[in-house]
Amino acid sequence: MRKYLFIIKTQIMSNLQYVFNIVFGFIGYFIMLFILFNLWKYLYSDQSELINGYTMTQMTWYVIVTEILWMSLGGRKLCNKISKDVRSGNITYNINKPYNYIGYCLSTHLGDIFVKGLIYTFLGMLTGLLFLKSFPDLTLVNIIVVLITSILATSISALIIIAIGLISFFIEDSGPFYWVYSKIILVLGTIFPIEYFPNIIQKILNYSPVYVVSYGPAKLFVDFSWDKAISIVLAQIIYILIAYSICYFIYKKGVKRINVNGG
Amino acid sequence: MLTAVKNQLKVTGLSIKYALVREFLNKATFLSNIIFMILNNSCMIIQWIVLFSIKDDMGGYTFKQVLLLWGISAGTYGVSRFFFKKAFELSETINSGKLDAYIVQPKNILLSTITSDIQVSAIGDMLFAFIVYFIYGFNITTFILFIFFCVTGGLMLTAISIILNSLSFWFNNADMVSDVGNSLMVNFATYPDGIFKGITKWLLFTLVPVGIANYIPIKILIEFNPYLLIINISVCLLLTLLAFVIFYKGLRRYSSSNLMSARI
Repeated sequence: MRKYLFIIKTQIMSNLQYVFNIVFGFIGYFIMLFILFNLWKYLYSDQSELINGYTMTQMTWYVIVTEILWMSLGGRKLCNKISKDVRSGNITYNINKPYNYIGYCLSTHLGDIFVKGLIYTFLGMLTGLLFLKSFPDLTLVNIIVVLITSILATSISALIIIAIGLISFFIEDSGPFYWVYSKIILVLGTIFPIEYFPNIIQKILNYSPVYVVSYGPAKLFVDFSWDKAISIVLAQIIYILIAYSICYFIYKKGVKRINVNGG
Repeated sequence: MLTAVKNQLKVTGLSIKYALVREFLNKATFLSNIIFMILNNSCMIIQWIVLFSIKDDMGGYTFKQVLLLWGISAGTYGVSRFFFKKAFELSETINSGKLDAYIVQPKNILLSTITSDIQVSAIGDMLFAFIVYFIYGFNITTFILFIFFCVTGGLMLTAISIILNSLSFWFNNADMVSDVGNSLMVNFATYPDGIFKGITKWLLFTLVPVGIANYIPIKILIEFNPYLLIINISVCLLLTLLAFVIFYKGLRRYSSSNLMSARI
C-alpha cells in the first residue's frame, strides 16, 4: 500500500506545477454549469417550486456536485492512456515492475486529479454561492461524509474507466466504449437525479454505477440523511470490489495476448 | 486562377481520401468509432425526453425542433472534424514546428495543413445528423438547406478554431484559449436559444456565433427567411476570410524548430 501512496504523492507534487492550466480549464466547467443553470431557471417558475422532489436551488447544487465529480475525473485521459499503453506495447514496462498494473494506474490517476479536484471543488462551491447566494444546510460531519463518498465515487469511476481502457487488449480502440459510458453517466446521473426517471428505470438505476459515482454524493450534499449515507457507502464498497474484480479479470485475460516486437 | 483552385481542391480531396483509406485499414476500429458515435449522440435524446415530460415547450422549441437542433449541431461538428480535423490541433502543429512539412509544398499551406487528417467518429456525427433530420421530416427543400447549413456551420466552427489556434503564432498558451472557444461553440449549440436571456443571448449571436451557425438555420428550416439566410452565408464567408487573413499574418512570425518530419 505504501508504494501506491508514494505514487499518489509524486503525482500530486508534479501536478502542482500546472495549477494555472487547471484554473483555466475550469472555464469549461463554468460554461456547462452556466447552461444548466439557465435551463433550470427556465424550467422552474419560482425558487420554491418542487419538480420531482427538488427545488431549483437543490437541482443547481446537485448539478454543481455531479459536474465537479465528472469534470475533475479526467476519464477520457485515463482511458486514452491505458489504451495507448496497450496498443504501443508500453504496458510491458509496467508489468515487470514490483506493483500491480491496475493499482499503479489507479494511484497515478488519483494523484493526477487530486489538485484538480480540490481546485474544482473550491471554484465550484464559489460559483454555486454566486448563482444561488445560499448553501445547503450541512454540518461539518455531513460535509466529511459527502467528501468520503466523493472520494469513493471517484475511485469507482476510475476503476470502471480502467476496465474500459483494458478492452484495448481485445479491440484496438476502447475510446468508443468510453464515449457511451460517459454519455450514460452524464444523462442518467449528472444532469438529473434518479428521481426524474420513471419508477421502473429508478429501480434499475439504484443498482447501477450511476447511483454510486454521481447520484450518491450529490444527493447527500443537497438532502443529507444518515440512512441514505450508510446505503450509499455500502453500495460504493461493493462496487469497488466488483469494479476491481472486473479490471483484474480483463487484465489477466488480456495480458496473455501481449505480443511486442522488439523496441 | 481557376486551374489553381481546381488543383487545390483536387489535392485536398486526395488528402482526405488517403486519410480515409489509412483509417479503413483497421475495419473493426473504423466501424466501432462510427457506430458508437451514433449511439453516443442518441443517448442525449433521453435528456430531452425527460425535460419535455416536465414542460411542453423548451425555449420556443418543440421536441422535434430540438431534435433538428441536435441534427444541425452534430452535422456542423461532423463536417468540421471530418474534413478539417487538423484545424482543431493547429496550435500543437505551430508550437512543435510541424508546419515545415506543409510550407515546402507548392499548395495552399492552411488548406494542406487542416485537411491532412480526418476524425473517423465524425462520420458517425454526420450520419446521426441525417437520421435525426429524417425523424424530423423529409422534404426536398429543407433537405438541401439542411446539408447546406451543416456545411456553413462546419466552416464557421473550423474558421473560429483556426483564428483562435493561430494566436499560437503570438502567444504560448493559445491552445487553452482555443479549447475554451471550441467548447463554447459546441456546448451552447445543443440547447435552444430561448432558454438564454439578455447579454448571453446577445453574445450567442455575436462574439460566440452559435446563433448564426445553429439557431438561425433552425429558424430558416422551420420557416424560410431570405434575410436570415443572407446573414448565415455572410458570416460564414467573413469568418472564413478572417481565418485565412489571421493565419497568414501569423505565419510571417513562424520560425522552424528544425524538426525532421515527412508526410507519407
